[in-house]
Amino acid sequence: MAEGTEPSREDVAERVRREVDRAIKRNIKGLEFLTAGRQEVGAMKKELVHREGTAMLYRFTPIVDEIYRVPLLIVSPPSNKGYIFDLAPGQSMVEYLLQRGFDVFNLDWAPPRHDESHLGLSDYVDRFIPDSMARIEEITGERDVTLAGYCMGGTLATIHAALHMGEGKANRIRNLLLFATPIDFSTMRLFQKWADQKHFDVDMMVDRLGVIPPELMLGAFDLARPANRTAGRMHLWTNMWNDEFVRSYRMFDRWAAETLPVPGEYFREQIKKLMWDNGLVNDRLEIAGRLAHLSAITCPILNIIAQHDHVVSREAAGPLMTLTGSTDREEIISKGGHVSLVAGPAALRRLWPLIDDWLGKRSV
Amino acid sequence: MTDKPFDPVAAWADMVQKWEQEINSWSTKLTDNEQFGAVVGNVSRIQLVVQRMVAEKMESMLATLAMPTKAQVEELAERMAGIEDSIDRLRLAIEARALTPGNAPVDAPPPPPEPKRTRKPAAKG
Repeated sequence: MAEGTEPSREDVAERVRREVDRAIKRNIKGLEFLTAGRQEVGAMKKELVHREGTAMLYRFTPIVDEIYRVPLLIVSPPSNKGYIFDLAPGQSMVEYLLQRGFDVFNLDWAPPRHDESHLGLSDYVDRFIPDSMARIEEITGERDVTLAGYCMGGTLATIHAALHMGEGKANRIRNLLLFATPIDFSTMRLFQKWADQKHFDVDMMVDRLGVIPPELMLGAFDLARPANRTAGRMHLWTNMWNDEFVRSYRMFDRWAAETLPVPGEYFREQIKKLMWDNGLVNDRLEIAGRLAHLSAITCPILNIIAQHDHVVSREAAGPLMTLTGSTDREEIISKGGHVSLVAGPAALRRLWPLIDDWLGKRSV
Repeated sequence: MTDKPFDPVAAWADMVQKWEQEINSWSTKLTDNEQFGAVVGNVSRIQLVVQRMVAEKMESMLATLAMPTKAQVEELAERMAGIEDSIDRLRLAIEARALTPGNAPVDAPPPPPEPKRTRKPAAKG
């Protein structure tokens, strides 16, 4: 034991009392935890304004009298539910942005049905995103939009921008706001090994399954960090006395457990065109007969990366800063991991004010 | 030398964190080779075949017991999702129609006013 000042008898008594109290609470709350239903999520009022099968466009109700002119469309990753942007009061990026005067829309996804297994990248970038923008224009009267995306939602937003920017009237994108967005897939080492072109038979998988179940993707994430789940449970038990910690744990746990299946064709193209061919970086990503050139993207870009992201590294998101044609590009490296960018309580203090500052100036 | 008294809870949390880091870095090393890709590829293939065989066996067993199979339950869930999708689209179409001049029901409350889109970022002091 380290040499140090001896604690007084009162200190020892106080610590014992506190630990006994926590141990009792742990047991009581542990029982509550085991028998509890699903943790409620969602802080802000929202309305479904457009629906096209798996694609669901929500508008969060503005909460201030005067908002920025340019609406903000956040694209969720097709394998995850969008409530990660709006977990709970005080821990919601959407709540923060609404308070700061942004008009926030979210393109979210319902689990694809088997008759949607044919949906591919072009359906996402040439149909769901532009249709959402058209609906936003109907509602707000504004043609311009800030297109945002998280993880693969960011990749889809980037591909859409690469295809449609420079099309004159068709170009509605005022800004690109990207969170943990993979562009250079060659740097995603574990996923490259997991889906090794020599051994991974993606065609057989897609043809057999049609819709790719979430377990398949969760397996890859577990391989990347096999101890996280167990360690998370251990931390939970230690902090079971702490209501805030337990509530937060249950919200993230629910979000991870509710990982969505994805359409087989989308999965096939993601593996072949992005993972194997690294199409965006090699400038040969073809979507419905057209090439998506990163150099065609000329709007302002804010590229946000997490310092300890085990899914999307700085290298993976790097080409947004080097291969795009924009002259107004900024990169923020934020403390924390993959999810903490859009949901962590620390982001509320450190990251989101920086986004407000960057985006506010470009939303008038 | 430290003045901090020994805290067993903090020590436990520290130990869990170190264990987590070690296992994760061990996994990174283990998976960073050609063989790993081959193993994953083979396991995925075998898994698909086994899954199919088990599903077929289960289906025949459940059919004998006159119980719905997983595929049937999934089909029902998909139909529900399809109905939900159609209802959403119908509701949106009705709402859109009601907003066109002359189509709104007489007693319908007016839509809430849109906020002004004139906000400017606060000037920095």
